[in-house]
Amino acid sequence: MQPGELPRTVLPEAARTAFVRMRGITKSFYGARANDGVDFTLQGGEIHALLGENGAGKSTLMNVLTGLYQPDSGEIAIEGHVRRIASPADAIEAGIGMVHQHFKLVPAFTVAENIHLGWNETPFRLDPASLAARTQALSDRFGLAVSPGARVADLSAGEQQRVEILRVLARGTRILVLDEPTAVLTPAEVRALFAALRAFRADGNAVILISHKLGEVLEIADALTVMRAGRSVATGSTAGASRSSLARLIIGDTAIPATVARNETDVPGAQAVPLALRGVSVRDHRGIALLDGVDLDVRAGEILGIAGVAGNGQRALSEVLTGCVRPDAGDVLLDGDASGPRGAREFADWGVGHIPEDRLRTALAADLPLGENAVLRDYRGDAAGSGPFLFPRRLARLARRIIDDAAVNLRDSRIPARNLSGGNQQRLVAERERRIASRVLVAAYPTRGLDVGAVAALHAGMQALRASGVGVVLISEEIEELLAQADRIAVLFAGRIAGILPVAQADAERLGLLMSGQVLPEPVS
Amino acid sequence: MRGFVVQRVPSVSGRVRNAAYAVSALVAVFVAGLLLAALGLHPLALGGSVLKQSLGSRFGVQDLLLLASPLVMCGLSVSLMLRVGLWNIGADGQFYVGAACAAGVALFGPHGSPLLVQITMGLAAMAGGALWIAVPALARLLLGTSEIIATLLLNFVARLGLDWLVTGPWRDPHGMAAAQTARIPDPLPKLPRDWHLGGLHWGLAVVLGLAALLAAAFRFTRWGFELRICGANRDTAAYAGMNVRRRLFQAMLLGGAIAGLGGMLELSGTVHRLQSGLSNGYGYVGIIVAVLAASSPLGCVFTGLLMALVLNAGLVLQTQGVPSSAALALTGLILLFAAIGERLAHYRIVPTRPVAGAGGVA
Ligand SMILES: Nc1ncnc2c1ncn2[C@@H]1O[C@H](COP(=O)(O)OP(=O)(O)OP(=O)(O)O)[C@@H](O)[C@H]1O
Ligand SMILES: [Mg+2]
Repeated sequence: MQPGELPRTVLPEAARTAFVRMRGITKSFYGARANDGVDFTLQGGEIHALLGENGAGKSTLMNVLTGLYQPDSGEIAIEGHVRRIASPADAIEAGIGMVHQHFKLVPAFTVAENIHLGWNETPFRLDPASLAARTQALSDRFGLAVSPGARVADLSAGEQQRVEILRVLARGTRILVLDEPTAVLTPAEVRALFAALRAFRADGNAVILISHKLGEVLEIADALTVMRAGRSVATGSTAGASRSSLARLIIGDTAIPATVARNETDVPGAQAVPLALRGVSVRDHRGIALLDGVDLDVRAGEILGIAGVAGNGQRALSEVLTGCVRPDAGDVLLDGDASGPRGAREFADWGVGHIPEDRLRTALAADLPLGENAVLRDYRGDAAGSGPFLFPRRLARLARRIIDDAAVNLRDSRIPARNLSGGNQQRLVAERERRIASRVLVAAYPTRGLDVGAVAALHAGMQALRASGVGVVLISEEIEELLAQADRIAVLFAGRIAGILPVAQADAERLGLLMSGQVLPEPVS
Repeated sequence: MRGFVVQRVPSVSGRVRNAAYAVSALVAVFVAGLLLAALGLHPLALGGSVLKQSLGSRFGVQDLLLLASPLVMCGLSVSLMLRVGLWNIGADGQFYVGAACAAGVALFGPHGSPLLVQITMGLAAMAGGALWIAVPALARLLLGTSEIIATLLLNFVARLGLDWLVTGPWRDPHGMAAAQTARIPDPLPKLPRDWHLGGLHWGLAVVLGLAALLAAAFRFTRWGFELRICGANRDTAAYAGMNVRRRLFQAMLLGGAIAGLGGMLELSGTVHRLQSGLSNGYGYVGIIVAVLAASSPLGCVFTGLLMALVLNAGLVLQTQGVPSSAALALTGLILLFAAIGERLAHYRIVPTRPVAGAGGVA
């Protein structure tokens, strides 16, 4: 608890009516039981973490609470009264609001318009100035900084999320549900979010927080519930819990995967540079520089970490490294060669895998079945057909294998990718891209949304690629992850490489300085 | 405690979907019957005469197949473009332009072997149809203009252009009718007599062959796979290294070419001369054909026949004193019920509790 914060009033157990009491909630999707008799209790004035593996049923349970899904059986009591929550509107009326794992804002609308969309308190006569003023007032009241006139499409993930939260809080929410809110936030944005949540709690409200980041859970949550395979398996206070005790609760009896450490051995032929950038600049459609004169060598058998606060050119960097975007100036060298017209196809065929930051919009066709998403790369290879022809049987077999190897929890390859849980979508993309990365893998925030076990598996996979001589580019905001996995760490600031440190010379403090645009006191190798 | 709930299934097999359509069509016919009864007519007697006239005789069946051919062709054109997520509202115009190009070749081109003439007519028609959609296609790809509006508007241009041709420069100088050209010298040959489909021409085989070819291309080529991804999510297609613009452009040009070829077959096989109103709205019915078939090419053959039956029924009903708009209403009913049926096919009734002893492992 922060110094200076008010101690929470603790009432005797009997006198407290739980804010939310869910009993025996069962929800199955044809053939699969996402929730299986789940009990969940939320007290007023607490931040309650909901934990569990990918596909454990956390998002489903919250979708039931917020009226998006109807449970097959079970009951929900809000402040002691059993209620049927038939729609999100009912949930809002009951004071429950949710920010989803995948944002649901309208990108073409402004912040103010998004906040006032579908809200019964929106004034009948609309003019932009009064909408903006109302939005500003809300922003001040809840301590969430947003710029009312900005278009949502132009906002960073953190800003979009503040808009989502503000939108929910504006409707008089007393129970705020956040589904993996910190997955896409910078550390500073996380701090701001947590401060706002603490203030919200201090007013006697409650928060349900779904997260895979156990450190954050320990920092902010008062209570926790752990789900496994659709059931709630543990619940209690966070007092006395540790990361490893939580991890054990989440994964169950399965051995806890050791944090994968960097492989210190050098890989033979490691001096080769399969992919390099020379003076690369990329501009957006308004002519603003996203990357500005970047020089970068991706070496074989090396994990090159890219540190930096999101929004400093990471997306452009990953796109330029994978041929999705051609630089406006400078060269992208494949094996030292800059010649030839090259796009995403040529890069992929040459052996560059790409885990993009926005899996649901870029890496997956969400409405198409799992099977077709799984073979999005392999459909072109010899294993799937010959010449212009494709052999559906072989393609189905390939899809089967990729889905199995990805350890996705839904095995029916005909189910639309949209219906996978967030972490399982990420697993599928990671496995598909790992397979084609025979030379280079560019991974942007690859552990986003993954549970503890899957993070370890992904890191092990990257180390294995490194050992086989593949160059891995790991774009991440988590300095800990970079220090543990990478051989060298480049820091991206305002579209430029602010410095490149061998991991032996890197520490959180130095990286932090570079990330905030300051110059290191001593020369950097 | 045992109970039942209705649940939505994310994906539906083709068989379930087809069953849903069949049931919907029956329901639509039933409702249409009720409406006719409400008008004071005898729905059973009317239905009987519709069936007798359309399916009861060899001529009826032949008429049905002749009517279905252009509908299927337009349906295939729309389906192909739907595969990449674009709407071809302009199949009607492409059909007209294709027919006009074919007529130009037939009337004014050099005389050669009949087969060669037919092939040249087909190629000219396909080129015409493709050219007709090229403008909306380029506008769509270069400027982002909606292909729906652009293709639709060009229909009127094509129809009026054709009217001008057949009343003006190409008008049959020796004929009585005001709006048609002379008969083309060598029409498409009829199917062999001993197939007992004497009234039908080889165009029918072309239609079926093309449907099979498209179905195979969708399923057995990498190109077909790419079209599907481009239709589902263009960002994903580009990320996976597909040339999205090229695929969209190809699908649009081919869609135009198919509709154009449909016009040539109608001209050379059935009507034998270019005339005003040659298409009779086939391009628009083609949209229904494609949507009902869920843009499956083989499905278009069946839904094309279904729509031909519906249009025929309208004609028969008209001879029995039912207003012509009733047939239109029937078309709408079928589309409405099919859409409802497709949605409902996604729902299942499942027990909320498993049978005791089925094991407790989730
Ligand atoms: N609409 C749906 N249709 C079919 N299956 C679904 C649907 N929504 C969820 N599921 C399945 O239900 C299970 C639970 O999913 P849920 O999204 O609740 O997991 P989660 O705990 O939030 O996981 P993650 O940490 O990966 O986000 C998964 O197996 C998922 O594939
Ligand atoms: Mg989830």
